[in-house]
Amino acid sequence: MKFTKLVNKFEKLVKKYEKGVSIETEKLTKLQQLLSDKRDRYQASLNTTEDAGKRKKLETKLRVVNAQLEKSKKL
Amino acid sequence: MLKRILLPSILIILSYGFWVSPDFKEIAAGVSIFLFGMLFLEEGFKAFTGGMLEKLLQKTTDKTWKSLLFGVVSTSIMQSSSLVSVITISFISAGLVSLVAGIGIIFGANIGTTTGAWLVAAFGLKVKISAYAMPMLVFGIVLSFQKSRYLKGAGAVLAGLGFLFLGIHYMKEGFEAFKDSFDLASLAVGGYPGLFLFAAIGAAATVVMQSSHATLVLILTALAASQITYENGLALAIGANVGTTITAIIGSLSANVQGKRLAGAHLIFNVVTGVIAIAFISQFIWAVDIVSGKVGIAADNYTMKLAVFHTLFNLTGVLVMVPLIQRLADLLVKSLPEKSKDLAEPLYLNDAAIEFPETVLKALKMEVWNLFDSAFEIMAHGINLHRTEILTSPDLEKTIDNDREVHEFDMDELYESKVKVLYSAIVHFISNSQAHMSSDFSEEMFRLRKAAGEIVECVKHIKHLRKNATRYMLSDNEHIRDEYNRLRYQIAMILREIYRLRGDKDIDHAIAILEMDELKAEIQSAHAGLDVRVTGILRDDRITPTMATSLLNDFNYVDETSRHLLDTAQALLVSHTDLVAEAAQEVVLDEDEIEKASAA
Repeated sequence: MKFTKLVNKFEKLVKKYEKGVSIETEKLTKLQQLLSDKRDRYQASLNTTEDAGKRKKLETKLRVVNAQLEKSKKL
Repeated sequence: MLKRILLPSILIILSYGFWVSPDFKEIAAGVSIFLFGMLFLEEGFKAFTGGMLEKLLQKTTDKTWKSLLFGVVSTSIMQSSSLVSVITISFISAGLVSLVAGIGIIFGANIGTTTGAWLVAAFGLKVKISAYAMPMLVFGIVLSFQKSRYLKGAGAVLAGLGFLFLGIHYMKEGFEAFKDSFDLASLAVGGYPGLFLFAAIGAAATVVMQSSHATLVLILTALAASQITYENGLALAIGANVGTTITAIIGSLSANVQGKRLAGAHLIFNVVTGVIAIAFISQFIWAVDIVSGKVGIAADNYTMKLAVFHTLFNLTGVLVMVPLIQRLADLLVKSLPEKSKDLAEPLYLNDAAIEFPETVLKALKMEVWNLFDSAFEIMAHGINLHRTEILTSPDLEKTIDNDREVHEFDMDELYESKVKVLYSAIVHFISNSQAHMSSDFSEEMFRLRKAAGEIVECVKHIKHLRKNATRYMLSDNEHIRDEYNRLRYQIAMILREIYRLRGDKDIDHAIAILEMDELKAEIQSAHAGLDVRVTGILRDDRITPTMATSLLNDFNYVDETSRHLLDTAQALLVSHTDLVAEAAQEVVLDEDEIEKASAA
């Protein structure tokens, strides 16, 4: 049992080391990129949609993506 | 293996039969049309559930004597106990009457059918309801195109009856070829063996001709021609009574287990009555003579005496069996049990997985998805939709607006057997594996347990929603119906989206997790819209205050279910190996942020 705990601790340390700061930044950058792409897609759809119902939905989605982007930048 | 070869074997046998015998083809087509009629009939009666017919049937069949009377009167009018039996089977399958009431109706039908013997004996005629088959079909189909639920239902009932008669007609036509092979004189045997033999012949003849009345005419002709003795004639009548149950048995093939139980009751009643009549044939002959003497029937007027006999032995059967109705019902429930709902078993949790933290988490996550799948099905049926409808309908909103089929099932039982069992297994597995886990993994396990708990909560909420959702889905008030359909749509749409995001390999998990926030915001906007709409339609007296409060209460269930489902999906889509998805989890918006984003 004790040995298992020791191995777990070791694994945790290795994992932290492996992740490193650069990977943390890298994954956030990738996420922000995904969100930016999505925001652009929604914006493009919004520019071409005239249906009021669809526009309302797209605007909500856009606000959500913007909020997520903002939040990711604070991390 | 047997199941796999059963269907092809049946198809091959049928094809061979069609090839070698046109009569067989006609009989098989008759049976198929008959069963098709049964389905129509059942659907038709379902349209009246929750309304007038249910109340009327409940009031007219709530006591044994009432259901007996119902059977007597309806069979006397329709002149066919088989038809009353199959209609009762469809009543029972649609949940309109109880098994005991259904058995009462069947017993009554057996007395009612004796009026036919009197008609045949006195006037040599019988009401030929089958002549109405074609008009019934035409009117039925015309009505089934109408918008009103009740007209549609009435149309399905009429068309169902039309198909039943058409089916019986084809069966009769098909069997016509065998009719002439009955040479009764050549079979004359004395004593009890003769009685049993002629009873069997009577049953076979009725199966062939699909009418006990027709058998009765055959008996009278044979009696008049002295082809058979009076006793043999009585045995034939007993057999005809047993043979008439075959229509009900065929009818029950497409019915649920309650319908099958009723057909069983019909068969048991007629067989028991037949056995009693044969066992006490001398006493019956004596009683017939006494009654005939009292009412002035001549000793050699066998036609009328046969009618007296038919009435007497059916009355005796009812008198003997009525005190045993409840026992008969219990026996049938015991011998024809509902298909037992197998308890769900965890698919991924096993002791081998416990040793390694990564495998524990993987097994747990897969098991929670398994729980989600079970819950998905129950929730779908809970809002009266099929799982496939939710997953494949090209226009889900339209499907929900048009689909008014009520899914009859025991939600409590399914909750116990499919959801609670899995949830318990998950909780047990977590408590067993916690000792092997580091704090990081424990945190992840806690998240998964929370997700499983939320799935369970969702099923409970849908259980609360189901009653009103079903009632108002069938309502003629389009405003309340539309609002409840919106609630049904919200649940269905979320289930569908989760399924899509989970299964789509092209969608990044990080994006899938964050897309749930968009759905949450959409729901939040819908909430604001609902408040405005409900206030408006209540002010304009389009819905009652009771409807409004039900709607607002139920919306809370739907709202909470939606959030739980989306939170669960977000928790399940996170992966330790997908670091971007893990980062996405940190970007997921909280309630305030969602509210802010959803505000226009």
